[in-house]
Amino acid sequence: MSEFNSRQLRRTVLEMAYAGSTVHIGCAFSLIEILAVLYRNHLRYPGNDPQAVERDYLVLSKGHGVMGQYACLHEKGWLPKSELDNYFGDGSRLKGLSDGHVVGCEVTSGSLGHGLSVGVGMALAAKLAKTDQHCYAIVGDGEMNEGTMWEAMLFATHWSLDNLVVIVDENGFQAMGKTSEVMKLGSLQDKFSAFGFDTVSIDGHDERAIESALAQLKANKNGMPKAIVARTVKGKGVSFMEHQNIWHYTRLTEASFGAAMAELECAQ
Amino acid sequence: MRAAFSKAIVDAAKADPKILLLTGDHGYALFDDFRKTLPDQFINAGIAEQNMVGVAAGLAKAGFKPIVYGLAAFVPVRVLEQIKIDICYENLPVILMGDGAGLVYSHLGTSHQSTEDIACTRAIPGLTVLSPGDRFEMEATMKFAFNLNSPVYIRMGKSDRGDIHSTALALSAGEILKVREGSGKTAILATGSMVRTALDLVDQGLDAEVWSVPSIKPLNAAQLNGIAQRVGCIVTIEEHSVIGGMGACVAEAVSATFALPVFRIGIEDRFSSACGTWDYLLREHGLDLSSVLGKIQAFIETNHNPDMR
Repeated sequence: MSEFNSRQLRRTVLEMAYAGSTVHIGCAFSLIEILAVLYRNHLRYPGNDPQAVERDYLVLSKGHGVMGQYACLHEKGWLPKSELDNYFGDGSRLKGLSDGHVVGCEVTSGSLGHGLSVGVGMALAAKLAKTDQHCYAIVGDGEMNEGTMWEAMLFATHWSLDNLVVIVDENGFQAMGKTSEVMKLGSLQDKFSAFGFDTVSIDGHDERAIESALAQLKANKNGMPKAIVARTVKGKGVSFMEHQNIWHYTRLTEASFGAAMAELECAQ
Repeated sequence: MRAAFSKAIVDAAKADPKILLLTGDHGYALFDDFRKTLPDQFINAGIAEQNMVGVAAGLAKAGFKPIVYGLAAFVPVRVLEQIKIDICYENLPVILMGDGAGLVYSHLGTSHQSTEDIACTRAIPGLTVLSPGDRFEMEATMKFAFNLNSPVYIRMGKSDRGDIHSTALALSAGEILKVREGSGKTAILATGSMVRTALDLVDQGLDAEVWSVPSIKPLNAAQLNGIAQRVGCIVTIEEHSVIGGMGACVAEAVSATFALPVFRIGIEDRFSSACGTWDYLLREHGLDLSSVLGKIQAFIETNHNPDMR
């Protein structure tokens, strides 16, 4: 089994969600492959230290996908199984949204439109300190409703932050429905390009496509910040969750947990 | 006071290249010296204050020491959530400077006036709230803030009211500074622009001791209790809402121990209805000298009873 196997990561998410009787499963499933590729090949943590001063930064601006990140932090060896098993238990430090007090999580997000600005600040810090650190910011398409996202994009372009890679988890849904029905976003690729980003659009579940987009964009040391618009499926990986916005809110039962785990055991 | 602020940040940033100054496209003349001397440490973040505060948090996480400047109506009020989540929850060493607090932008109206910033900021855990009243307090406040290594909001109000101290001073956490002796019947605690008003009242014959409160949070409770124990009543004066401001901090602290009348003078629960000079707006809000004097005299007549303690 390869490192950061997407089926294993999804199983970990399901186990956490079942243990804690939590929501946001579909939101975590849409960004699993993105996280897997970043952790496997791109995020540099010297000495495997999540707090190394010279580390790359992963900002989960879309904080409600945090179970996907917890699964990766567990695989990195920074979160013990016991903490995953106690998810949402009284006294647990693992919250339902990205929390900067958890080592390995760079930002406290969940209130949307915060993480990207903080990530832009970290990318600027790397530029000012003349290091080769990158900052990867995973944002939601629904999150693009927030005005601060566009402020952050203007700033990133003005300051030539080509060490910033914004990855949009474009699953087409936000809390109350389809993004096309709640707040039309149009072409995010066009919009990022218009804001001065080097932008590509890919299938966000095709790890080779993610890998090649990251490699291609990072090679362009052209002063332009980078954006990957990753078309994803909310609830990806479990047939009865895919494209079903209800899995933003639904908690697992013994039956649905068993059925979902069974699909992930045998899926190829 | 503004010159003292400018000098403090230039001197500090010269000594420490990790200090950065961020502004939301404000401070045109104020930062001339900084921009000329330290252009690489100056960041105009554009008219996008929320992003600016998030960027400052990111810079601080990566080891820089940002000073974020804005008009008090914007920093801290417009960006309160960024201050709470991005800066204070992470306990990052960011100095937030809110300029023109109170009614300073008297002609521009409600959007630029700031009479709720103390109330908004003091409830955020881990955020120190400072309010210097003259150039000496500004110097001391900046020095204190740079040494703190945690989030600070500094409120700069009307800045041309002259000195209230005669010499440089050092500020310790929560310290209340005595600026005029009195007979002990009444203590006036004032902050920012209103310390000068309190001194003027005494110069006109009011019998009161005057204290300046440059540190609103923390507030030295032991020192405050020492004052409360001695005097017959406390009057607070501030260019801020009476709801949740410095006076409220004093009343909350004193009431834990003493049954002592604390009379809060400030902006009542309303916006300015018209525009005009700063002096005009003070009159409109009953914060001019004669209005304040009348309020205090009436209060003392009806409430001052040493036996109440």
